Amino acid sequence: MRAIDHYAWTNRWRNRHPVEKLLPAFSLLLLTLLLPPLTTGPLVVLLTALATVQGAGVPLHAFWTVMAVPAAFLLAGAPFLAVSVSFIGGVNLHISPDGAWLALETTVRALAAVSCLAFLTLTTPLVDWAPLLRRMGTPASLVELILLMYRLIFVFAERALTGYQAQAARLGYARFDRSLHSTGLLAGNLFQRGLDRARRLEIGLAARGYTGELRVLTPERSLSWPRLAAAMALVSCVGLLGLLAHEAP
Amino acid sequence: MHITEGFLPPLHAAAWTALALPFVVVSARRVHRLMQDQPQIKLLLAASGAFAFLLSALKLPSVTGSCSHATGTGLGAILFGPSVMALMGTLVLLFQTLLLAHGGITTLGANVFSMAIVGPWIAYAVLRGTQQLGAPLALSVFLAAMLGDWATYLTTAGQLALAFPDPVSGIAGSFIKFASVFAPTQLPLAVIEGLLTVVIVNFLREYSGEELQNLKFPPQALATEGRS
Repeated sequence: MRAIDHYAWTNRWRNRHPVEKLLPAFSLLLLTLLLPPLTTGPLVVLLTALATVQGAGVPLHAFWTVMAVPAAFLLAGAPFLAVSVSFIGGVNLHISPDGAWLALETTVRALAAVSCLAFLTLTTPLVDWAPLLRRMGTPASLVELILLMYRLIFVFAERALTGYQAQAARLGYARFDRSLHSTGLLAGNLFQRGLDRARRLEIGLAARGYTGELRVLTPERSLSWPRLAAAMALVSCVGLLGLLAHEAP
Repeated sequence: MHITEGFLPPLHAAAWTALALPFVVVSARRVHRLMQDQPQIKLLLAASGAFAFLLSALKLPSVTGSCSHATGTGLGAILFGPSVMALMGTLVLLFQTLLLAHGGITTLGANVFSMAIVGPWIAYAVLRGTQQLGAPLALSVFLAAMLGDWATYLTTAGQLALAFPDPVSGIAGSFIKFASVFAPTQLPLAVIEGLLTVVIVNFLREYSGEELQNLKFPPQALATEGRS
């Protein structure tokens, strides 16, 4: 989590207008879902990896780390798509060619989609999504709730880590039943402190004239149309190539 | 149990999003109104949302050795009620997607449906039902959290079965297949989460009676006997 957030804030494309990153990434995600996966998928992974590593300057290992967890889940789950069961005369398991094909296509499609997501999370901090959410018609109060949550997550994470270390140092995780107990206490404590913290924050804000809206300055960034056009052209090329390669015998 | 980005076919992803949307919009309206009436609720909700996110990142002691984590679905439904949970769950899932790359944007609808709508409603119904039957609170909380988890897991299995029906035995066969694949991790995990939720609720009742009272929308069962 920290690694993702760190790169999101420090990468080379951090100060680009969010739309320049979001629009191409979402278009690519859409293409990944709609076009034949076996030809489009690898191209999409290649493009997002290049954009993340060469463009935004995020180390390659960070990109792989983000991809690794969903990839492991996919590789574990895919074989079950290939296997089919029937219950006539006991339980029978078959591997059908169709099923194997479906498993392969689904895995490639999902991996390509995850790579789009990895690009987004590694280059765009969550805060940059806020104007977009506003534009989509989310009420200001909800967007603010999201931003507050974002801030508090990191505050609480620090507290949770400290608490965990203190418990672990006192052998709180030495046995299964102890770990269960300790996890419960840690979570309960975190909740209690969280509420307490929220209340103090609220008193502090009220003292400063808080009426339900936190106003913040959004840095002015100009949208570069040439860059956006170039990115979209690249995305279209990938889609077209994926289609053509699929049509070719 | 998150469905990974891109795993569902586009039509299914769109359909689950359309199905989940009304619940989330109604919930958002409700929360929006709550926040307008009482601005301080915003901070309370933000704190709870951050807490739920972290809870899902805390690794649970797991018997099967797999990397498993709590959903917090049951606890949220018990503390806030399911109508608020639909929005809170959606936000937590959004954070998991964007901060951990866990779950996905296109599969958000399907995940919201199983984890922020079905799970909390079942947990809440179980809590209410068992309380009315006069069960001890600890038992109610345990059952609510556990059954909420199971409902979530069966919903996910159902979503996968609808998306990938078995060529021989159809959707039903596929459902049994997915349900049994996830059973070894999900069944014990739900029991553990049930126990964990009991520990948390006991802790809160013992030390945070005041905070529980301050939650403006607690179910009757919890709003008693604060000893802080």
